[in-house]
Amino acid sequence: MKRLAVALTAILALALFVSPAFAGKIDDIKKRGTLIAGVKDSQPPFGYVDEKTKQIVGFEIDIMKFLADKLGVKLDVKAVTSSTRIPMLTQGEVDIVAATMTHKKDREGQVDFSITYFMTGQRLLVKKGGPIKGVKDLASKKIGSVKGSTSEQNAKKAEPSATIVSFETYPEAFLALKQGKVEAVTTDEAILVGLKYSDDKPDAWDIVGDYISPEPYGFGLIENDSKFRDFVNISLMEMWESGEYKKVYDKWFGKDTKNYIPLTWTMELWP
Amino acid sequence: MAYQFDFGLVVSGQYGDWIVDGLVTTLKISGLAIAFSLALGTLVCIMRLSRLKPLEWISWTYIEFFRNTPLLVQIFFWYFGSYTILPEFATNWLNSVDQEFACGVIALTFYTGAFIAEDLRSGIFAIPKTQLEASRACGLTFIQAMGYVILPQAFRIIVPPLISQFLNLIKNSSLVMTIGVAELTYMARQIEAHTFHGLEAFTVTTLIYLTISLTVSFTIQQYNLRVLRTAR
Repeated sequence: MKRLAVALTAILALALFVSPAFAGKIDDIKKRGTLIAGVKDSQPPFGYVDEKTKQIVGFEIDIMKFLADKLGVKLDVKAVTSSTRIPMLTQGEVDIVAATMTHKKDREGQVDFSITYFMTGQRLLVKKGGPIKGVKDLASKKIGSVKGSTSEQNAKKAEPSATIVSFETYPEAFLALKQGKVEAVTTDEAILVGLKYSDDKPDAWDIVGDYISPEPYGFGLIENDSKFRDFVNISLMEMWESGEYKKVYDKWFGKDTKNYIPLTWTMELWP
Repeated sequence: MAYQFDFGLVVSGQYGDWIVDGLVTTLKISGLAIAFSLALGTLVCIMRLSRLKPLEWISWTYIEFFRNTPLLVQIFFWYFGSYTILPEFATNWLNSVDQEFACGVIALTFYTGAFIAEDLRSGIFAIPKTQLEASRACGLTFIQAMGYVILPQAFRIIVPPLISQFLNLIKNSSLVMTIGVAELTYMARQIEAHTFHGLEAFTVTTLIYLTISLTVSFTIQQYNLRVLRTAR
């Protein structure tokens, strides 16, 4: 019995001794002096390469900058894609993922999410003046979407008789719409707005219908590091309360931008 | 933190169904494309060997063009590019059917058909020229001589390269996901997007491709061995 107690104590001591090796992300980041964020580089206005400076800029990069400033470190961004963002996070190549990622229950298994920092919903991009006014008009028609965007299943649920055709990129889905191969393109409104204005004649296209599904974006964080997650969440709330969030939002989605989306939601603020 | 493997998630329930759906589509598209490309390859090969210069020229152009351009580019050509050159009634008709699947079959057929034509030609050349001359001397037409004497022997010779073409086609069929055909690889990507369990989805998919390929290869090898034994 005594031997068992000694063994247990030894294991406990070892566990205590070892645990600093798993010290939180915050310590790692401070020691390193940089916050490494995985961001999109082709998703204006969330994250894209600026034509003049050749730097990755965007809404999500500005929020990351805020976090880095709060930690007193420099910001380092790494471009990720929808398929690389999670492996890069779990392998520690990036500290945080800010890449238009919808917070879904099914996705909780691999990573943790921050609170919602951007709220959008899935809608439809259609030819202006056409017969499509909402998702119900798409019964037994084809809807274009993009792989990895999760919008496919939502549209299928909203209109089961529709066929969803998923492409590699948004421009391809848009081309299919222009050629009449699909009747509508569906994904998050914020992305559709960017898509519409990428066309030579943006007035020929319309974003219609009610929200098919809510798309709350959250930052991807490593599992089981509540200190870092708390830091991110509380920083976001501070940003919202101080008005800093609104400033950044207006810079990218405000009235004077071509990606105008009114700010109609409120961040979840813990009392 | 290491990656948490969870194979149960991708092989059962909704995601398991997706994999089965994807597998069925892969088998359908591959099966159709194999049948069509075999027919097209044979036709093109005969055209190439015929003494009519225009036919020979057309088939030569076809073979060189389709063998020497990337399949991905061809898939995009059939799906997006052909829209700009086809007449309006044809595009309207295409838009009304399952054109993703149709364009996928067409692209795979034209691509693989070019390779099969060349394999078949090499098989025909392996047959002594005197056989064709003898058949013609017996009064058979060129087509009859081909159909009854030359092609049956040539096909037996080219079974091994033909298997490789079929296996390539099955693997190449994963490329049609770029035009939205929901085949096996497409489904793996979709599962990854939904669950972030991409490693498991792709491991399962890889094993399925391996199983299909090995089964096809083994079956035809067995057939080939038996045929060769009786031929000896």
